[in-house]
Amino acid sequence: MSELTGKLDELRGRFDAALTAASDDRALEEARIAYLGRSGEVTLLRRSIGQLPAGERPGAGKIINDVVEAMEAALEEARTRLQLRAFDEDLAQRIDVTFPSVAPMRGSIHPIRRVLEDICTFFERHGFAVVVGPEIEPDYYNFDALNIPPEHPAREGFDSFYITDTLLLRPHTSPMQVRTMQQHRPPVAIIAPGRCYRRDAVDARHSFMFHQCEGLLVGEQVHFGHLKGMLTGMCRALFGPDQSVRFRPSYFPFTEPSAEVDTTCPTCHNIGGPCRMCGGSGWIELGGAGMVHPNVLHEMNYDPDVYSGWAFGFGLERMAIVRYDIDDIRRFFENDPDFLAQFA
Amino acid sequence: MRVPIAWLREYVELLDDSQTIADRLAMLGFPVEHIEERPQITGVVVGRIVELDKHPNADRLQVGKIDVGTGSLLTIATAATNVAAGQTIPVALIGAKLPHITIERRKMRGLESEGMMVSAEELALPPEWFEDGIMQLDADLPLGTDVVEHFRLSDDVLDVEITSNRVDAMSMIGLARELAAAGGAPLRLPSFDNPGTALDAPGVAPRVTIASADCTRFVTQRFDGLRVGPAPAWMRIRLALAGQRPINNVVDISNYVMLETGQPLHFYDDAGVRDRHLIVRDARDGEKLTTLDDVTHTLTPLALVIADEDGALGLAGLKGGKTSEVSPSTTSILLESANFNGARIRRMSAKLGFRTDASSRHEKSPAASLTSIGAARAATLLTAIGAHAYAPHDFGEPLEPAAPIHFPLRDIRRLLGFDQSADRTRRHLESLGFGVTPLDGDAFSVVPPPWRRDVKHRADVVEEVARMAGYENVPTVIPTIAPHEIDGGEYHLEQRVAASLASLGYNEIITYSMVGADSFAKLRLGNVDRQTEAIEIRNPLSEDQRYLRIMLLPSFLAHIARVDRPLRIFEIAHVFTHANDYIDETQQVTFALAVEPGEEHAWHDPHFLRLKGDCEVLIRELTGRTPETVQDSRPVLHPGKMAAMMLDNQEIAVFGRVDPRIEHAYDLRLRVYVGRMLFNRIPPYIAPRYNPPSKFPSTYRDLALLVDLDITAAQVEQTVATAIGEFCVGVRVFDEYRGPGIDADSKSIAVRATLQRYDATITDDETDDLIARAIAALHNDLGARIRA
Ligand SMILES: [Zn+2]
Repeated sequence: MSELTGKLDELRGRFDAALTAASDDRALEEARIAYLGRSGEVTLLRRSIGQLPAGERPGAGKIINDVVEAMEAALEEARTRLQLRAFDEDLAQRIDVTFPSVAPMRGSIHPIRRVLEDICTFFERHGFAVVVGPEIEPDYYNFDALNIPPEHPAREGFDSFYITDTLLLRPHTSPMQVRTMQQHRPPVAIIAPGRCYRRDAVDARHSFMFHQCEGLLVGEQVHFGHLKGMLTGMCRALFGPDQSVRFRPSYFPFTEPSAEVDTTCPTCHNIGGPCRMCGGSGWIELGGAGMVHPNVLHEMNYDPDVYSGWAFGFGLERMAIVRYDIDDIRRFFENDPDFLAQFA
Repeated sequence: MRVPIAWLREYVELLDDSQTIADRLAMLGFPVEHIEERPQITGVVVGRIVELDKHPNADRLQVGKIDVGTGSLLTIATAATNVAAGQTIPVALIGAKLPHITIERRKMRGLESEGMMVSAEELALPPEWFEDGIMQLDADLPLGTDVVEHFRLSDDVLDVEITSNRVDAMSMIGLARELAAAGGAPLRLPSFDNPGTALDAPGVAPRVTIASADCTRFVTQRFDGLRVGPAPAWMRIRLALAGQRPINNVVDISNYVMLETGQPLHFYDDAGVRDRHLIVRDARDGEKLTTLDDVTHTLTPLALVIADEDGALGLAGLKGGKTSEVSPSTTSILLESANFNGARIRRMSAKLGFRTDASSRHEKSPAASLTSIGAARAATLLTAIGAHAYAPHDFGEPLEPAAPIHFPLRDIRRLLGFDQSADRTRRHLESLGFGVTPLDGDAFSVVPPPWRRDVKHRADVVEEVARMAGYENVPTVIPTIAPHEIDGGEYHLEQRVAASLASLGYNEIITYSMVGADSFAKLRLGNVDRQTEAIEIRNPLSEDQRYLRIMLLPSFLAHIARVDRPLRIFEIAHVFTHANDYIDETQQVTFALAVEPGEEHAWHDPHFLRLKGDCEVLIRELTGRTPETVQDSRPVLHPGKMAAMMLDNQEIAVFGRVDPRIEHAYDLRLRVYVGRMLFNRIPPYIAPRYNPPSKFPSTYRDLALLVDLDITAAQVEQTVATAIGEFCVGVRVFDEYRGPGIDADSKSIAVRATLQRYDATITDDETDDLIARAIAALHNDLGARIRA
């Protein structure tokens, strides 16, 4: 019996030494297998109990069981110790968080579309539908139906690209007003974005191809104040919550009353002074707007005594220039990768 | 239009500074592009040269004794040569501040000079427009009068933009009227009574024959006893400030009246008009006319001319002719104050290729009533310089008063969104010259003033009300929009395409819609057929923008050549082609990879597969379904590296590598892979149905096959899937090999089949059995052998 105890003590001493020496889980597992495994030393000892006299066997079994239990506890303790040490080591790690990131491969949306998206989202939230249409349009849609008959002086403002005598690349998105009103009875609430073309020489502020965004609301009890309300909302969506909008009287054949629409300069916050964006006026010109001319409503078989409406047509490049502080309209069409990457 | 504030002050009291006046004009609809600030000049007074002598010590100087109304004479030396005793001139006193100098007491060659005789330049007037030397003032000016104050030389000049509907405001009176109305100030108009005497003039009276419907009205009047010479200083100064060069008193009066009233005038030398009979008619084909600028025009009947019996005298509304030009010896003149059809003047001006200050007004159809006002002002001013005015004669249509407009006051609320009292509305309209008569039922009968031809409709009256109330009083209101059924689906599809491609790593670009003829050749599309299919622009800005694109590829290739860096780009734009008798304009998306060239197997192209994967993801995103890829052949793409993507046997996209010969034509170093999808081919999105996963594990087998070169991966996958049947949950070819160890007419293909049951764990025996079936089918259908 004492022989067994002595063996166990000696074995236990070696086991504890192995646990202490173990620096990882694998070493612990090796120790477990060597002592407590299927053919481990303790297991072999347990098998040897069968050779003891029958009377001693239960006592020997208990001694071995107690030792095994203690060894398993020691093993668990060693595991915990190792685990805690591993955590400590892990948590002691320090990296340079300012090291450059691993960039995901990501494309980009053109700034013109970004501006358009925000405009459309704002108007859609208020019940407008976004409609698109052709870029080659008959002069009827571009002019006649919009109260610009042939020889009207206002036609001079639209130096257009012609395909035939009567077909041209649209110089504005207003034909979509006509198309929509021809197809629908009031209420009509649309945003019509798209490419437009005018025979302007290209410079920092002009492009023969540009994007316009048309807005049209026609219904009962639609007034000029609603236009101001929606445009104020739009400018806040685009340029920030403090924007306001100013109307100045102007002239367009398809609207009456007509207005030039300005918004407070987001670059200088309407202060003016030496501001590159607004030239010191504190205001940014957005484009033309007004109440749909009764002649246009009449042409669409809308009764101008019952229905009223407003329309606006703004250049998206202008809005993107102001929003992103872009210096030259040509940037939008050069598509320089470093330019585009800034809108990813 | 250059508008001297000094001139506006003739008609309306303006107490504000220039910026405030400019802001007020802008808020009335007349934006001020620029304020030209005038220098602040002081100490210049009217003086008279009493005596003039040679300077005792200098040959080139003269010394004058100048009376400036103080009782004593000033001694002033000058180098100017145009001075003479008796002249009335501006004199800068000691202490005077001129643009670049302050006048001090100083000695000129030993003689003390007590001031300076002043030229136009020193008063900040264009020197080349005035006499060379000392400026000449009118003799009737009281001596000692402050010149700057008298002529308001320090008042700024505004550059005002005037919209084409407001030709009535292309005049000093027109703008002054607006400022007076907006400021509630009185408008002080000069008399519009014509001082012409009713007495018969000697000889025949002037008469006009109007032989064209494009002349609505023509006032003529004869003046004699005229002495052509410089106009009075005040008139020359005003004209110069307004940007109009003074010429002589007759020309200056015509320009002055045009700028003042908006009515262009023309004067004929009475001797140059046969029988004093003016004829307004179409020009004869080939008729020649030399205009005042010595240009000889060969006319067509498109031109409208003023003629006498002998031939054309001038271009109506545009420019006078040489033969009847007023000369320094002219003493008798005939006035033309006429009204024409604006469209006719515009057409003629466009055809002849020039505009004048007169035509820029005539082409906007000013009111016919201005003709009499213009004549009256001209007669008044001519009389003031000593001419005798005979009776004016009117020809053409009688002046009709404007038709009254029924204006219900509720339109203010209905269209502007605010209320204002009937009294206020009436006061505003009347201040602009409208006649207002209240009617029953809260309405006005509104008669536009004769000079306003732009107000025809109720809505026009509403705008006047809004302008006078101030656009800043329009409220800011968010409308509530009633439901409607207008569909915005097309825009949303476009946004989804853009978002998908951006998420796949593509950068959106926007390129011009026009290309040159050379792009068709570079794309190997042939010259004739394709170009006739392409839409041609009649008036392109340049040859390389003559055609609308039939595809976006040429713009992409040009862009990639310019950037010369690996890129992923996409663009959504319209493409245009002729289709039978209409123009086919379609929204489409093109996306492209530009990659560095590298060594690849002839039978393998990873970039193609990358693009294919992007196409599949995009189509799945848009349609909810996975397309089938089929071999195809198209122009512009590599014949062995292109394919179409099909859904329900409809092609919805085409993609592949660009034909290397085209890459070469665009000087491309990079290789380009491009995909294109027409929006109208994209079927509606179908939500994919969910397949619940099996609770039982799946298993797979990989097969290495030897097949003939023409057997496709799709055929192998299809054959395996069909042979295994319902337990086949996936088949994918994952490798291909050709080369050493394999017959030249064969290739090795590796395929993985994944099997799974929904009702039980699939057993090894079942799996082996099904795979054996697949192998048999591969052998029977495709001649495939299992590779050892
Ligand atoms: Zn600013």
